[in-house]
Amino acid sequence: MNMNTTPPVTAGKVKPSGGVRIWAKPGRGLFWVLLTVYGVVTLYPFFWLVISAFKTNADFYARPFGLPQVWHGDNFTRAWESSRLGTAFGNSLIVALGSLVLTLFIAALTSFILARFQFRWKGGVLTFFVIGMLIPIHSTLVPLFILMKQMSLLNTYWALILPYTAFALPTAVFVLTAYLTSVPRELEEAAFIDGTGLWGLFFRIMLPMSVPALATVTILSFLHSWNDFSFALVFINKTALKTLPLAIANFADGYQTDYGLSLAGMTLSVIPTVILYLLFQEQMMKGMTAGAVKG
Amino acid sequence: MNALRSKRFIITGLLPALVIYSLFVFVPVIWSAYYGFFNWSGIGEAKYTGLSNYAEILRDPVFWRALKNNVVFVLASVFGQIPLALALAVLLHKSNLLQRFLRSAIFLPMVLSTVVIGMIWQYIYHPQIGILNFLLDALGLSSWKLQWLSDGKIAIYSLIPPLIWSYVGLYLIIFMSALQNIPGEIHDAAKIDGVSGVRKLLSISLPMIKNTVQVAVVLCISGSLKSFDLVYIMTKGGPAHATELLATYMYNSTFSTYRYGFGSAISTSIMIISLLLIGTSQWLTNRKKDAA
Amino acid sequence: MKKWISILCSAAMLALLLAGCGGGNEASGSGENGGEKVSISIWHNWTGQDAKAVAMRKIIEDFRAEHPEIEVVDEGLPTDGLKTRLRTVAAADEMPDLFVMWPDAMTKEFVKGDLLQPINEELDANPDWKNNFIPNALDGYTVDGKIYSVPMNLAPSSFIYYNDALFKKYNVKVPETWEELGTAIQTFNDNGVIPIALGNKANWVAQSTFFSTVGDRITGTDWFLKAVEQDGAKFTDPEFVEALTTFQKLGELKAFQDGFNSLDETQMMQLYFQGNAAMVVNGGWALANLVNNAPPEVLDNTHITIVPTIAGGKGAPDTTAGVVGTGLGVSKKLTGARKEAAMKLFYAMAGPDGQKATLDSSTLVSYNIELDKSKAHPLFVELYDLIQRVKIVPVYDSKLGSATVEVVNNGLQELLMGGKAEDIARKIQDAQAAAVAAN
Repeated sequence: MNMNTTPPVTAGKVKPSGGVRIWAKPGRGLFWVLLTVYGVVTLYPFFWLVISAFKTNADFYARPFGLPQVWHGDNFTRAWESSRLGTAFGNSLIVALGSLVLTLFIAALTSFILARFQFRWKGGVLTFFVIGMLIPIHSTLVPLFILMKQMSLLNTYWALILPYTAFALPTAVFVLTAYLTSVPRELEEAAFIDGTGLWGLFFRIMLPMSVPALATVTILSFLHSWNDFSFALVFINKTALKTLPLAIANFADGYQTDYGLSLAGMTLSVIPTVILYLLFQEQMMKGMTAGAVKG
Repeated sequence: MNALRSKRFIITGLLPALVIYSLFVFVPVIWSAYYGFFNWSGIGEAKYTGLSNYAEILRDPVFWRALKNNVVFVLASVFGQIPLALALAVLLHKSNLLQRFLRSAIFLPMVLSTVVIGMIWQYIYHPQIGILNFLLDALGLSSWKLQWLSDGKIAIYSLIPPLIWSYVGLYLIIFMSALQNIPGEIHDAAKIDGVSGVRKLLSISLPMIKNTVQVAVVLCISGSLKSFDLVYIMTKGGPAHATELLATYMYNSTFSTYRYGFGSAISTSIMIISLLLIGTSQWLTNRKKDAA
Repeated sequence: MKKWISILCSAAMLALLLAGCGGGNEASGSGENGGEKVSISIWHNWTGQDAKAVAMRKIIEDFRAEHPEIEVVDEGLPTDGLKTRLRTVAAADEMPDLFVMWPDAMTKEFVKGDLLQPINEELDANPDWKNNFIPNALDGYTVDGKIYSVPMNLAPSSFIYYNDALFKKYNVKVPETWEELGTAIQTFNDNGVIPIALGNKANWVAQSTFFSTVGDRITGTDWFLKAVEQDGAKFTDPEFVEALTTFQKLGELKAFQDGFNSLDETQMMQLYFQGNAAMVVNGGWALANLVNNAPPEVLDNTHITIVPTIAGGKGAPDTTAGVVGTGLGVSKKLTGARKEAAMKLFYAMAGPDGQKATLDSSTLVSYNIELDKSKAHPLFVELYDLIQRVKIVPVYDSKLGSATVEVVNNGLQELLMGGKAEDIARKIQDAQAAAVAAN
């Protein structure tokens, strides 16, 4: 491709980082030390969350930064039992994974078509999806509620899976289409000549090829549905179907907050997202280079 | 025959996405935009008032303040997050232990819920027991101590570090996977030509991932125009609207002051403004490309 | 690479399968097939582990045990969440059978939207119950002469909780006049103690806990009620500007710690609990938090008083701002056996027994019953005795239109940051004039 373009517009902004590469050795060492410090500082909130989860309320009030005076592991068990976190955890997994898979499949298919086929309304369809990225979700709460009431979807998992999917689609389609457009076509063309059908092309070539972009979409979409409060608050009013953010919010009633229990709940709720990240980080790094282009 | 097959494929392939998206995003949005023409408390009778909500928005100093704050957020994200993430992506492209640790550490805030992030940053900025003021004291810089979140003049800027900090990981990941995708041959070719370091970054790597940078810019703009959670948790848009954003203002109008129609008009305005901004940014980058 | 896709796919299939099951047994039109178990729903905000929430949940549990023929489907949500949810379902006309409802603005809006049914019949059938509420307790739930609920508690919003040990240590008199308050502030500041902890991030705090009382002290209640109606008084009147200026001067005296506009209520109480602040101004609801979370050295030295008198003011001295507490809204759609069941639960929660259970959980009620002082926490006894002596005047946010309340709250933040009192008064006046004109 066009490697020989003139220096791009972003050049000026990137200079400071580029500069480090020509530093002398000692400067380089210092630089990595600073970066490591940054990394550690970034980890601090996570550390704070976990140690605070072991505190009593009084301890939290008295010394918000210190280590717990007594380590209260029972915050976790109490949180788990008193707010039915177990059920909530299961519900969250169902809606987050459900909408994730739906999003990945539908968005990949749409993007494959938008990136690889020529048809009349292509530009229109893409713009139509991109507009979706600009919508502040709170404005849709009331209309969505009425809509779902009419479709009898309220108080089912679908009341969350479908809107989470719908709201994840614009970003997913946008990211995936942009990615696929930038990927060379040789591989599919070869496969096509070999007689692979369109669905085969999609499942066997496109999906594996899009792994890095799919990973980005996965993280975005999963985090969104996993942490969402507004939709879960309004569309679900059966205790048995409540998701984690709602269950955790119940430790604070607006006048008082039980910090030990809240933070223990939040710590538990972070675990799946951390696992997901660790899983996908590796995938992303291997993703493309191992796959299509070199083949 | 072949064309017919692909036509059928296009239709069946696009259908699920179009149906779900139209039904659960587009219909509610149009519906809500429609309320923008009414004086409606959200309950009971609605009175059609034409464009008067929009006229009020144009005259409303709080709206303009919120818009200004949103623009600050957009600029901070586009010129803060993206260059930072790019720099980190270039620096952390290897997979040794330190780099892997740093990558994970930088990404971690993404997985924490905004509630936790808001809570911890409130304690960092706490005027009495905050870490930041404590550090400034320890470094002998007591005169730099500020009321980070309660001084109306600086509060909006104090929100920028948590904003950048919590999302930079996302863009780091996006850029890293894009950089990984630059075919090995190109790196080899660069090596043979003796291109390395900053020159390689500027003349080879960046142009190769230009598309991705554009995607990131759009994500950044749309994300920061919608941003709500962090501000709602850290300052509630205060003090005295100093950190009000369009989305927090819309939420307040809709759900606390019983002005549903006005709130809907604000949210429609958010979309119009976002479209304009993104359109402009696309036009700017494309124009430069044509010029090049 | 393919492996993770297949893992993910199978996980999703499972998830969707489960989702399908969940969707199947959806219980919509709850139990109206007569003769069967009657089912009623109630939404509330008693989710915490504090005494009151526990007591209210226990009433529901006991009710279930006593009435096996009635199925009570209860759902607890945090306060803000409950309000947002109620607004949404109100727009769609899908109210639950019973729900925790706030007096004044919310009640009026819901009545206007034809979502509630009055409970006059039940109240009139039981005069002992109706007549035992404290004076004016039902006003906030009365619209056009019809009563839609009764308060289940009482929320005086403006007390000074003070740490007597700090007052003794620096030899400061607990202020009874505005001048004494000034002296106290001065002395504490000189000694590096925060005079009054304030957490005004959720911007209603300064208005509800402090300014409403200051305003009433200076302008008098009559003036305020007239200004609310925009009938013979305006918020640009000199007395209101003086109230704003008086409050602003308090800020200039450094009565509040630095950065008060960025701290939340929790952090405000935290400063007091840590012994860094001599006073904190807060509502009666803060007591439970204090008793549960303050360390003993602070708790044992804490006492309660009211905002000092202001010389030359038109208001009565022995008053505190406040509002009756939340009640239960009754959905318009309830009829027949379900309404009967719902009203039984209503009475269990808001009737004499419910009021007593609330009082026993260290929460004030708007209902005449004696407190069993031997069982209550001494600080609650102090609060209870104090409230018998003082009269409650309207807190600003209970009477003003909700859009005006936003303007007042933001205006007070601006005022304490050095805004001009006249300009703020003008904005408040404009907002309230618009609100009155719209009705």
